[in-house]
This record gives sequence, structure tokens and C-alpha cells, in this order.
Amino acid sequence: MTKWSWAAAAAVAVAGATVAAPAAEPEIGAAATNFRAYDMNGEVVELRDFRGKTVVLEWNNPGCPFVQKHYNSGNMQRTQRAATQQGAVWLTINSGAPGLQGHMNGEQAQAFVEGANAAPTHYLLDPNGVIGRGYDARTTPQMVIIDGEGRVRYNGAIDDKPTSNVADIEGARNHVVEALSEMRDGRPVSIAETRPYGCSVKYAS
Amino acid sequence: MIGLRFGLMTLLLAVLALTGLPVAAQTPGAGPHIRMELIPETSRPAPGQEVTLAFASVPEEGWHGYWQNPGDAGIPTAASWTLPDGVTAGDLRFPVPERLMIAGIMNYVYEGPYALLATLRVPENAAPGMRLPVAVKLDYLVCTLEFCVPESAELATELTVGDGAVPGDRRARFDEWRAALPRPLGAQGSYQVNGDAFRLEIPYPADAEAEDPYFFPITDGAIDYSAPQMVARDGDRLVIETGARGAPGAIEGVLAIDEHRGFVLTAGPGNVAPAPAGAAAGGERPFAWQTALLAFLGAVLGGLILNIMPCVFPILSLKALSLAKANAGEGNPRREALAYAAGVILVCLVLGGVLLGLRAAGASAGWGFQLMDPRVILLLLLLVVAIALNLAGLFEVAAPGFVNRAATHGTGSSFATGALAAFVATPCTGPFMGAALGAALVLPWAAALAVFGGLGLGIALPFLLLGFVPALRRRLPKPGPWMGTLRRILSIPMFLTALALAWVLGRQAGVDGMTLGLSAALLAALALWWVGRRQQRGARRQWAPALPLLLLSLAAVAVVRPAPVEAEQALASGAEPFSEERLEELQREGRPVFAYFTADWCLTCKVNEKTVIETQGVRDALAAADVAVLVGDWTDGDPVLGRFIERHNRAGVPLYLWYAPGADEAHVLPQLLTQAMLRDLAARDAAS
Repeated sequence: MTKWSWAAAAAVAVAGATVAAPAAEPEIGAAATNFRAYDMNGEVVELRDFRGKTVVLEWNNPGCPFVQKHYNSGNMQRTQRAATQQGAVWLTINSGAPGLQGHMNGEQAQAFVEGANAAPTHYLLDPNGVIGRGYDARTTPQMVIIDGEGRVRYNGAIDDKPTSNVADIEGARNHVVEALSEMRDGRPVSIAETRPYGCSVKYAS
Repeated sequence: MIGLRFGLMTLLLAVLALTGLPVAAQTPGAGPHIRMELIPETSRPAPGQEVTLAFASVPEEGWHGYWQNPGDAGIPTAASWTLPDGVTAGDLRFPVPERLMIAGIMNYVYEGPYALLATLRVPENAAPGMRLPVAVKLDYLVCTLEFCVPESAELATELTVGDGAVPGDRRARFDEWRAALPRPLGAQGSYQVNGDAFRLEIPYPADAEAEDPYFFPITDGAIDYSAPQMVARDGDRLVIETGARGAPGAIEGVLAIDEHRGFVLTAGPGNVAPAPAGAAAGGERPFAWQTALLAFLGAVLGGLILNIMPCVFPILSLKALSLAKANAGEGNPRREALAYAAGVILVCLVLGGVLLGLRAAGASAGWGFQLMDPRVILLLLLLVVAIALNLAGLFEVAAPGFVNRAATHGTGSSFATGALAAFVATPCTGPFMGAALGAALVLPWAAALAVFGGLGLGIALPFLLLGFVPALRRRLPKPGPWMGTLRRILSIPMFLTALALAWVLGRQAGVDGMTLGLSAALLAALALWWVGRRQQRGARRQWAPALPLLLLSLAAVAVVRPAPVEAEQALASGAEPFSEERLEELQREGRPVFAYFTADWCLTCKVNEKTVIETQGVRDALAAADVAVLVGDWTDGDPVLGRFIERHNRAGVPLYLWYAPGADEAHVLPQLLTQAMLRDLAARDAAS
């Protein structure tokens, strides 16, 4: 009987996971889904409030070697500063579930941001993976750019060298920097969609 | 399977989280999590030769490496080579991967030992004895369910230009690794995107096996990896529906047909008709209790229907008559019905258990597996003939003392009748049982056994009803002389069953086997007739003289053998199986040779065979020109054939080779043959 109840419970769990499967990938040009979340200081942040500004979403997991590649080299922080100096809003999002690699509470996130000398506008906590699944974020890092009209303009990797090797940052095309600069000049984003690379987002199962 | 494992993992994590255990507190240890070794197939490659290198990889327990397309997350393995001048390396070749779903994110991985292969080409001008140092740096990702670690492996080996000889043990290992690589399907697929829906069509022969088909895309961005794939087989095509991501032009991918075998193919955009409803087969099979319940109910229904099949009905009728007798005052109908049900269900469970045991042992078995052995068929034939003769009134069965004692309570004989009915019913499990039993083969063993039990319950149901509902029993007619008449009439379907079994025996064991079986049946009939005569005369020890004859007929069971396979698979126009030795022999004889390589799963091959090679015109032309035809069957991926095919045409089957008399090199014919092409070649080489 126990065997049966386990099997039944497993079946229910599978069914549950399927029901909670992520929404479709945000299409380029489509309206970005609004969300609301706590940031690391306990402040409530809502995407809609940034209408009129360009918003960059960055999925983060400090334990992921691919994230470390871009933070240890200072590449991510440079990109953040370049974006915010142009007036863009940078939202770093942690969709890692409690107990899994990279999950942080507010204090831990503050320590991480300070220690890495990072410069996001907000560091958002998404322990239930609601934002992550809503945007179908699959890897850390994964980058999404939303324009002032609330439309998705870029979705994918940070650059075109899908490795964890710091030496590969030099000479790589930083898709976020390029997309932001094209958007500033009023041009279409030439590479609007790439394959994100890195670790899988550690969602709650 | 994956769904189940994932579900259990989910549960485990949930339990651990609830109890507050530190699930992910440990950090990944130092050192490589994939043990990797670089092994060349030969250390002495010949000039101008290709040499295959293997990266034999063993992931640490709980860790996995990634396929060339890692899925939703992860990184494919990259190789950077340091090679001597003139030596070139081909792309890495990956074995068929496994699916690993983690929290809704699909990963294409290897959880057990695997080997990536790469091919080096040694230049023509390499001097024998020259040393060729080979170094390679592999960058790859290795993960557990929680962590990922990018690793690098710097591997080196030294080759010496030589004679290209391959040591036997190494050849065997490489054959095994090559067998795990997807084979080229030799046919193009096509796909269609409708909004979010992606529909892929793959040419695949209707009779080729595909246990759990799944499409692993190599091209990124075409489909939604984490969406379930619905697979349907529709004639000579396999239709896979899943979620779309984009339409990147041609899509390359691997169609896996079970855990270890698959085919590489490309698919271009086109119109793909949906598969007819109800054609779904294989693909996603999440285990759910609904599935088990449905299968159980299907099995009960199937068992119920079996009651009216000719092979079961007569036995059941006898039992019904005995219940009618019980109505007249003898016996205990409820207990008889229960004993009968117990007999039926027990035999079904035992057969099911044996089947599950075979399944666990890796044998490919289906329901009725015991019927694939001609010895079992012959045994059934003799049994059925005996039952039919008994029904016809030729002899009576006087059970031995202990059975008689049991039978006085009615339960013993009822149990035996039930067991007999269940065993005899197996040939009748027709297509209507297929679905439930197919489900039983993929369900966990407890659920599968429940399905077999359900089958037995279905067979027993009418009798349980008769036994427990006196009103029904009262509607049964009173015993009388009509019972004898009915009994003789019922022998007719039993004789028909014997006829069907003789036919099956003939299919399996050939004409000789069928003759042997009919002789045994005749012998048994004569013996039983003799018994019947003695019974009429009231002789003592009525069975004694006939027993040796019966035993002799049973001995035939031990003798009968399946007909040799070659007899069934008659090859076209006197063709012979391909071997390189035979090819050389024929070439020495100066005969033109047409060698073709085919496989059951290769649709193009089948079309060419049906429409060109096996047509009368081509056969006559080949025969007239005295062309020898050699056939290489690559269905099972025979490595010897594989190496030969690889030498001539890297794309796999179909491969058509024409050796003109005296020519060393084969003329490789196009993959789409025409009758005229073969007739012209035959005419030319006959004239020369």
C-alpha cells in the first residue's frame, strides 16, 4: 500500500509540475509581463513603475560558475554601470528556491552586491520562481531587455562566448551593451534573440 | 520513467526540505567529476587512413555530462586540438543521450558511462615510423541536480604511422561505442509550425520497432525542449507533436527509438498532416494511476470478451453445466465459482509474473510470448485435440483419486478448470487486448500484475455471477440429455482451435514441424480412442495400454524446433547474405556483383526493394547477366557491416554498390534506384 501511495503521490507531483510549467517564452516585440517583488532591502518593486525607461533583467545565482565568470572579471558590473548611466533600470533577479544553490535572503543578497561591487538598480528576490517562470528564464545568467513602451527587445545570453572561461570575455560581443546602444540610437536590435548559456535556474520543483 | 524518477526526486526534496535537512549544504568536491580517458582505436594508423579516437567518460555517481545540444541549460563539450602538421580532426560524435527534467527545465545528458568519438585523418605522405603526438583540451560542463561545474580535461596520446592494425579487444570496445552512436536514417523528415505547435514527420517503416520514440534536436531554437512530445505512428511515418520555439530552416536532430538507439536526420519546413486520432504510441508515458486503472478496466473487459472466444467457450460451458447441476442440489455453487476464479486469476498472474521477469531480464517479450515457442504450441495442440475428443464423447476423463476427492467438494476440479481456461485463452488475446497489455508492459510491476489479475477476473466474472446470483442460476436450463448434445456441438469450436494451432505451428516450425505436430495429434487421438473403447467395455485399468502412445506423442513436443530463419526470409533472386569474403570470392570468379545494404527501419531501402530490386524485370535482367546479389542487413547495427558501409559511404543505408567484373572499386549507385539503371548495368556487364 505504501508503494502505491508513493507512486500516486509521485504522479500527482508530476502533474503539478506540468500544470506549473512556465508560460511561453516572451517573444521579441511582445508586451513584457508585469511583476511585483521584494528587493533585497524589503522594498516592493513593480515593473510597471518603470514605464518610459529601458529595463534590463538579469537572472543571478552567485554559486553558478558562469555567473562567477562575469562577476569575478567585473564584466557584469561594467555592463550594469554602462546601462544605468544611460538611464536604464537594471533588475537583478534571483529565482533560486530555498535550499538550492544560489538562493539568498535579503541580507545575503546585500552582502553579495556589496562584496561584488555590483550596481543593479534593485536586486529582486523571487524564491518561488514566479518572475523566472513568467519570463521562461532558464539559465543564469540570462538577460532580457524591455524598452520604455514595455516591449521585450532582447532575450538571451550576455555575450557570444558560451564558456565559463574568464579569458573569453575579451573579444566577445556583449549582446546587452550592443542592444542598448542600438536602442539608444533608435535602431532595431540587430541580434534580438540568442541562446542563453550558464547553469539552469534552480527553481523550486 | 523519467517522469516517475523526477516525481520521486521532487517528493524526496520536499520531504527533506520539510524535515529541515540541509539538501544542498554540501559543496562539490575538488577533482574531475567525469573521469575521462583518450583511447585511439589503433596506435599505428596507416598513411592516408582515418583513426577513431574515443573519449571514454565515466561521470561520478549523481553527476551528468551533456549531449551536443544540452537542452534548456548547460554547455556542449568543445574540443581544441593540437595536432601535427597535416593531421586533421573531425567533429565530436555523441552517443544517443538521455532526458533529465529538473524543475521543468529539460537537460539532454549522460548519467552513466559514455564515449564521445572523433576521427583523425593521417596524411597520405606520412612516413611509416613517424611519431604523431596528439593533444586535445576538452571543455565541458558536469552537473548534479543542484550544482554545475565547468571542467577541462587535457588529454594526449602518441600515434606512430604504421600498418593500421587494430587490436581485437580494442575493436570490440569501439564496436560497442559505435553502436551507441545514432545511425543515419537515410531519409529526410519535414516539419510544420502552427503558432506554438510544432509537428514533425519522419519516414519510418510501419513494421520497424520504436519502443519509446523521442526527438532530440541538434539544431537549437526549433522546439520547446521541456514540452512533452506526443508521438504517433501512422503507417510509414512517425509524427511528433510538441511546442515550437521558432522556425530556423532545416533542423538536424536525433530520433531515439529506445534508451540506446537512435537515428540522425534532418528535417526541412513543409506541410505535415496530423496523425489520425488514436494513433498515439510511445512518446511521453507519464505513469499515473488513471492509466493503471484504465488498463485494469480494459483487462477486465478483455477477459470478459475472451469468454465467448472459441478456445475458451467450450470449457466454460462445461463449467456452466456443472453449476446447473449444482442448482439441482449437488455441490456448493459459490465455492465452485470462487475456486474457478482463483484458478483463472492465478494462472494469469503467473503468466504475467513470468513476462515481467523476462522484461526485467531485458528480453523483448509480449503477451502470448509463450506462444512464440513451437513446443508450447504443440503442447497446446495436443491438449486442445484431447479436449475436443473428450467433448465429442470419444472418452471420459476419470480423474485420479485425489482429484476425485477434491472434486467431491467441487472446488478442486473448478480450480483446475479455471487454470486450464486461462492457459488456453492466451492464443485468443487478440488486438482488443493489445492496449491494456501494452500498458502493462510499461507500468510499474505492481500495476502490471494488477492488469494481469484484471484479465483473469474478466474471464471469471460470468461464473462468479452465476455462482453468487441464484436467480441467474435458476434461469439456466435443467440438466438433461440436451447436455450431451450440446457437449458434442461444443467440440466443433475446439477442433477449429486445434486447426488454428496447427496453422501457427506450421508458420513457426515449417511443413516438417506441422507434420510432426499432426502426427503427434493423430497418435494421441488413436490412444484416446483406444481408451474410450476400453471404457465402454468396462475394462480394468482403461488407460494403461494407451499411456505409452500418449507419452510418445508428447515426446514430439521435445523434438519440434523453429524452422530455420533463412527459410522464412527468402531473399530476392537468389541473393546471398553479404560478407567481404564472399564478395572477394565472387570478384575472383569474374562475376558482376550487386551488393546492397538495407535495414528494417530504412524506408528508402524498403521502397527501393519493393519497386526496383524485387521486381520481376530486374530479377530477370540480373539473372540473365549472371549478376551475384549480396544483401547486407544492418537492422541491428552489425559493426562489421557498419565499418564496410563507412568505408564506402558515410551516410549509412541505403547503400547500393555495383562491382563490374574485374573492377576493384565499387561503383556507388544513387540512393534512389530505378529499374532501368539496374537493367542497363546488368546488360552492360553481361556484354563485356
